[in-house]
Parts: sequence; C-alpha cells; structure tokens
Amino acid sequence: MSREEREMRAGDYVLGLMDDAERQRAERDLIIDPEFRDSVWSFANRMEGLDRSAPATAPGDGLWQRVSAGIAGMEQMTRTEAMQGELAAAGIPVRPSDRHGHLGLRRPMARLFTGARGTALAASILAACGLGYVVGQASVTARDPEVVVVLLGENDVPGALVEAYADDRVRIVPLTDFDVPDGKVLEVWTLYDEAVGPVSLGTMASAREAMLTGPDLPAPQPQQLYEITLEDAPRSSAGRPLGPILVKGLAVSPPR
Amino acid sequence: MDARTDDCDGLMRRVAGGDRKAFAAIFDLEAGRLLAIANRIVRRRELAEEVVQDAFVTVWRKAAVYDHERGAARAWMTTIVRHRALNLIRDGSRLDFHAADDLTALGDRAADADTAYDALPESEDLKRCLGQLEPERRRSILMAYVVGFSHGEIAATLGAPVGTVKAWIRRGVVSLKECLS
Repeated sequence: MSREEREMRAGDYVLGLMDDAERQRAERDLIIDPEFRDSVWSFANRMEGLDRSAPATAPGDGLWQRVSAGIAGMEQMTRTEAMQGELAAAGIPVRPSDRHGHLGLRRPMARLFTGARGTALAASILAACGLGYVVGQASVTARDPEVVVVLLGENDVPGALVEAYADDRVRIVPLTDFDVPDGKVLEVWTLYDEAVGPVSLGTMASAREAMLTGPDLPAPQPQQLYEITLEDAPRSSAGRPLGPILVKGLAVSPPR
Repeated sequence: MDARTDDCDGLMRRVAGGDRKAFAAIFDLEAGRLLAIANRIVRRRELAEEVVQDAFVTVWRKAAVYDHERGAARAWMTTIVRHRALNLIRDGSRLDFHAADDLTALGDRAADADTAYDALPESEDLKRCLGQLEPERRRSILMAYVVGFSHGEIAATLGAPVGTVKAWIRRGVVSLKECLS
C-alpha cells in the first residue's frame, strides 16, 4: 500500500467514515501493521485540538460506579489473544491458550514445515493479517521487509510472524502465548548458510512484539530458515540452539 | 505531544497490567473530555454517558492491545468514544434521528463544526494547515470529525455528490498530514 493510500485510510478511520467491515479490518491492521498504526495515531493526535472546543461536561455521579461495576470480574485481553481472535475470525487454525506446555515444549518438533501446505498457510495468514505488502497495489519502500516468515509450531499452528529486513533488523510478532519459565529466554535463529550453521538474531524475555537487530548478514532470502528456541538466560551458551524448537518456518518474499 | 499524553501512556501500561488504581486515574483525567466529545456527536447527555461508560469498559478489556505505542493511549480512547458515538447515531433502530434528515437540523450541527475550527488558536499548526485547504475540503473534514457526519450528510449539507465528498476528504487528509508533518 502506498504511503498516500495508507494516510487516506488512516484518515477515514480517524474521521469515522468507515463502514463496519472496513473498520474491523483497520482495527486488525492497527494490531499488526506498524506503519498504519503510526499513521492513525499521529493523525488522531493532531486532530485532538478540535476536541478542546467541545463544551466541558463533568461526568455524572453514577458514571464511575457504572464503569467500575462493568469491569468487575472482567478478564483483560492480551495482545496475543487479540491477534488470535483476528486469525480465528479469518478461519486460520489457532490453538486455544493452554498454560501448560503450550507448544509441546517437552517434544521438540521433528520435522520442518515445507512444501505447499506451509506456503499456503503462510499466504493465508499474511492475507488475514491484512499487511500492506500483501495487497496487490503494494509499492516497495525502504521499510518493506525482504522476506516474511510464518513460524509454525506443532500441528502447523502459527506461532509467530517474522519480517526480516535488508539492514539486519527482524520484527517478531508472536501469534501465540509462549510459556517462558523463569531463567529462560526465547532466542531467534536463522540458517542462511548450511556451512555456517544457525546464527542467533537475538533474544526476547517474553512473547511480545519485538524488533531485533541481528549481526551483519547477507540480505535475507526466500526459503531461508527461521526458528525460535527456548534457551537458558541470557542466551544459548554454545552460540547455537540447545533448547527445544518452539516454532520454525521458511521465508517467502512478500507479494508486491 | 503534551504532558497529559505522556501521563496517559504511562497509566495505560499500568492498566494493561490489571492496575485498577491507574484505571481510576485515567477515568479522572479523561472522562470529562471524552464526555464532551461524545456529547457533540450524540447530542444527548444520557447517551453520551452511555458511550463513555462502554468506552471505559473497552479500555479496561483491551488496554494490553494498545498500550505499547508512544502517544497512542489518549488518541485510542478518543477513537473508541467517537466510534461508539457514531454507531449510536447511525443505528436507526436505537434512536429517533429522523430530524437529521432535515437540512435545517444538519445546518445546526454543521455550525458546530465551524465553531470548533474558529475556536482553534491562530498559533496552532492545525488551524494554519486546515486554513490552507480548499474550503469544501476543510468543511468536509471538520463535519466528519467534529460532529460525526457521514459522507451522505456532508454531501447533503454542501449540495455535492457523495463521491465528490469522499474525494475531497481523502485528498484533504493527505494535504493536511503533509502540512502538519
């Protein structure tokens, strides 16, 4: 999506000119597309000046009591749950959250998800996420990733989305709640050359969206392997994966 | 971005962690402002309170989804309130807004949009940048944002086709953002 299209769309969202379907899609993109997010919140913050002339209105006595009663006993939604909700709504298999050994930590995966099934699933997830570069009219900008990777766990359940950039940055968007016990970290790896072996791109303390800057490596290529393992903190002492593989996948070029 | 925006970001991160005191603090800080915004759209006090009540419940439930961006917390709350208020007035089964079809009634509401623009201090970038837009683009954007007009209502007020209004707004937003950046 071009910058101009993104801004027009952000404008329609902030001004309240979208129908329900468009708005739901925009709210999905707010979760997953950082450029759209920036565009929306920066415009909304700028328009805020117009709100100041609205005649001041003090809340009635009962309002706080009603809000308070409204949230009593209400569970808060995690970012991952929101993401899973979006994927599930798009018909993509997402395993419900399970606090105990969520991705089968005791059973490292034996096989790699390759072939048509993995690729088709990756494509459907990217489409569901409504990422700008999936759309046909996408244009290439400096901020577009070289490759995107859907990392899958057991039973092909999507576990994380990775965008890898030419300047060695890697954005990780967890799609599931990884259980990270005390003293452990999530470590992100890529295999760009069999002869070199897996190279660490960085670690994450918890399953939250993160932008890592890896070592200086050749530009990411399609079919390059990415994986996340569970390692002893602060990072794998051997400089290669020692712990169980939680998710892995092969890179694809984002459709342009 | 002012201190209050930063306050909201910090409080929202605590709300995301389940902190009810931080939630009460956000309510104290923002409820009056949000009520005023809702009221300008739904134009009935009890409905505006209902909008703000629903919005705060959503803020509690989804704080973790939106807590991570600098400057986003306050804009997010405003957006929730505006969208809830718009849903209310556009839900015909819920409200008797037939008066809105009346051009005089539309005119009254459109005047509120002009007032909001006039009230902006001359020193503010937003005033200057809105002022640089062609008048029909500026008025379309103001009517949508300030009083929550739909494309159709703006078209009726300005006597222009809906498609033209859509184009005015989209081009206007791009020019506005360019001027503001």
